[in-house]
Amino acid sequence: MANVLEVKDLSVAYGKVEAVSKISLEVGEGKIVTVIGPNGAGKTTTLSAIMGLLPSSGQVAFDGSIEQVPEVERMVVRGMNLVPEKRELFGTMSIEDNLLLGAFQRNRTGHRDHLQTMDEVYALFPRLKERRHQQAGTMSGGERQMLAVGRALMAKPKLLMLDEPSLGLAPLIVREIFRIIGELRRRGVSILLVEQNARAALQVADYAYVLENGAVKMQGDAEMLRNDPRVIESYLGLASKHQEMLST
Amino acid sequence: MEALHIIGEEHQSLAGILHAVRYMLKEITAGRLEADLKLFQAMVHYLEAYAEKRHHPKEDLLFKYLEKRTDEGSEALARLALQHAAAPQRIAALQDALTAFVANPGNFADFARAFDAYADFYRNHMMLEEEAVLPLVRKYLTDEDWTAVDAEFRAEMAANSGKDGKHEDFAGLFSKLVSAAPAPIGFGSGPFKG
Repeated sequence: MANVLEVKDLSVAYGKVEAVSKISLEVGEGKIVTVIGPNGAGKTTTLSAIMGLLPSSGQVAFDGSIEQVPEVERMVVRGMNLVPEKRELFGTMSIEDNLLLGAFQRNRTGHRDHLQTMDEVYALFPRLKERRHQQAGTMSGGERQMLAVGRALMAKPKLLMLDEPSLGLAPLIVREIFRIIGELRRRGVSILLVEQNARAALQVADYAYVLENGAVKMQGDAEMLRNDPRVIESYLGLASKHQEMLST
Repeated sequence: MEALHIIGEEHQSLAGILHAVRYMLKEITAGRLEADLKLFQAMVHYLEAYAEKRHHPKEDLLFKYLEKRTDEGSEALARLALQHAAAPQRIAALQDALTAFVANPGNFADFARAFDAYADFYRNHMMLEEEAVLPLVRKYLTDEDWTAVDAEFRAEMAANSGKDGKHEDFAGLFSKLVSAAPAPIGFGSGPFKG
């Protein structure tokens, strides 16, 4: 199966400090690929550079075409969509209007299927439909995450990039969010998922990269990494996770 | 090793529910939340039915493969077997405390204590499995074992998914619980309607 994304030797520097150093990664069509690693490893920087939000060196090939210098507007038009860690919704607008904004670029290029797409998003997130006329600013953290993902889906992306979708959410909601991410794969959406919650990410992903200090330290099938003693010791902490869940 | 993946997923679901109930109990105790009795009943039902009908039988199956390969971990396996055998009594005690609370709000503190005891037990149970037994499963099961156990797990998942209407749809129930649970632990569309 073809790769929807191929990144080669991607580097990003903040001044003289190299935050990401010669990272190479691939996302196969219809696959979930995750990038895990500790805080500050360069995960968000990597996503931002691929999206064209940060200057970078190296090569990004998306949907068969090479982007020497990714630019965010062109990446969006070509079908790449990023759900940022901070969700970045329009709080004073209704949920439905936020969703419609997600289809703006697609509408501008002559597509008129936004109502059908919105029905698909509502089917995936019934809670958004229930609250569609309410202001996005009144939503809970979990609902905001669902709206952010729903808004990205309105663009019918070829590649959906999710930056820390579980951040700040309770375990119950994290389980539900990851169930929906798995459902998106069944619908054929290719996903690049950046997560600190390695346990949840490796459960849902097909392939994984472990990022440390701006470089890829390990990579492999998610199932293999789930059972790798080094990953278990450094990132999964299975038992302590349950303890954390119960300590609230 | 798909079986380990499935066990991990099921532990996360169960731990998520335990966390949610504990959170709600603390909020009720602090006077910041009103009890949603039907939500409590549905969550306790999930803990009972999902663990007993779907989760523990698969674990017992997996652990039998381990016993065939090694004696290592036999003490932990014996403890787990006892805990699995005693699980119905523990959940029955929790159900009794919940029934008493539903009948009389004055029994809230007893229910909260009973739930804390159950949650502590279940957390320790999962920790024992994940720290003492699952590493041995990874170490000792052969490729042939994994092929067989993964096939058995897949068959169980397919037969009991609940999509056929003959078995309970636990995935659907979990989504309803998340939807009805109050924010920030859920989406706050409660009270739970079943």
